[in-house]
Amino acid sequence: MFKKLIDNSAARSPWLFHINAGSCNGCDIELVALLTPRYDVERLGFKLAGTPRHADIVVVTGPVTAQSKDRVLRTIAQVPDPKVIVTLGSCPRSCNVFRGSYSVVGPLDKYVPIDVSIAGCTPKPEAIIDGLALATQILKEKRGAK
Amino acid sequence: MLPFIKEAVTGLFSKPSTEAYPFKPVEAPAGYRGRIVFHADQCISCGMCERVCAGGAITTHSEETEEGTLVTRRFFLGSCTFCGHCAAFCVKHAIELSQDYHMVARTEEELVVSGSYLKKKPAKKAEAACAAPEESTVKPREDGLPVNDTSKCVYCTLCAKKCPAGALTVDRKAKTWVLDEDKCIACGTCHDVCPKKAIIM
Repeated sequence: MFKKLIDNSAARSPWLFHINAGSCNGCDIELVALLTPRYDVERLGFKLAGTPRHADIVVVTGPVTAQSKDRVLRTIAQVPDPKVIVTLGSCPRSCNVFRGSYSVVGPLDKYVPIDVSIAGCTPKPEAIIDGLALATQILKEKRGAK
Repeated sequence: MLPFIKEAVTGLFSKPSTEAYPFKPVEAPAGYRGRIVFHADQCISCGMCERVCAGGAITTHSEETEEGTLVTRRFFLGSCTFCGHCAAFCVKHAIELSQDYHMVARTEEELVVSGSYLKKKPAKKAEAACAAPEESTVKPREDGLPVNDTSKCVYCTLCAKKCPAGALTVDRKAKTWVLDEDKCIACGTCHDVCPKKAIIM
């Protein structure tokens, strides 16, 4: 009886977990800007989770650096399935200007499949909202398939 | 106590500070650099955009076909910093950064902007070159000084730049080509450098 209610509520309120994989902080600031009164994504149900174990959507920023690679993969592994991996900005998608650096071992799709990529350097907060809406849709599809 | 009440009352009647984004579309401010628009028909394949791209987002692929070379320029927005260098360096203004910021994709291909154009084989050009000498009505001067065929001249000023004696004055805007006969040493440099073979000696 409660299962349906819980599932319905969970689908409407996906929790985010943000991983910084060596980002320049530009994308991180834009993600945090989403939680400010001006954009306020909490009205759409998104909430920044404190631990990966509570999250539904993982938002990764930054090209994956050699130092962060192990931590990123371990953190993503802790997120329960079904999960959606969102890349924010150009870096996790292609390493952007950091490609070829001795300390960068990305891009992220070498290690985990990327579900949604939001392009921009950095993306506009509105574009991030678009991306998260798409991520929610994918999450719903994944849950339905399960 | 009173200031808080005042704040609460004004807050009650003022507009909400939250943008109603997904329900109400928002336009990017003027000058925002978003999705790249590539006008393939204007491209002259100088390759400048590719050279100045910091993120290595621009690649060119050319394919030989019967009619000529099919050049495809590919912009991968997932590797773009949207710095606008490619657009700034494009002499033909073939690259434009639009106001569109909705760049959300599930696959890599959705983030690609590409355009292709046909670079025709020089066969036609050769024909034109063969026909050109007949068209030329300007006769060389008897004293050996250069003459300009104004029908061919594009006023690129290359001859004036290369002239060792400084005898040529070319104005690109006014479309004038003036020879100082006293200074000219009839060396033929202008004739050699002219890309349009407009200078006859």
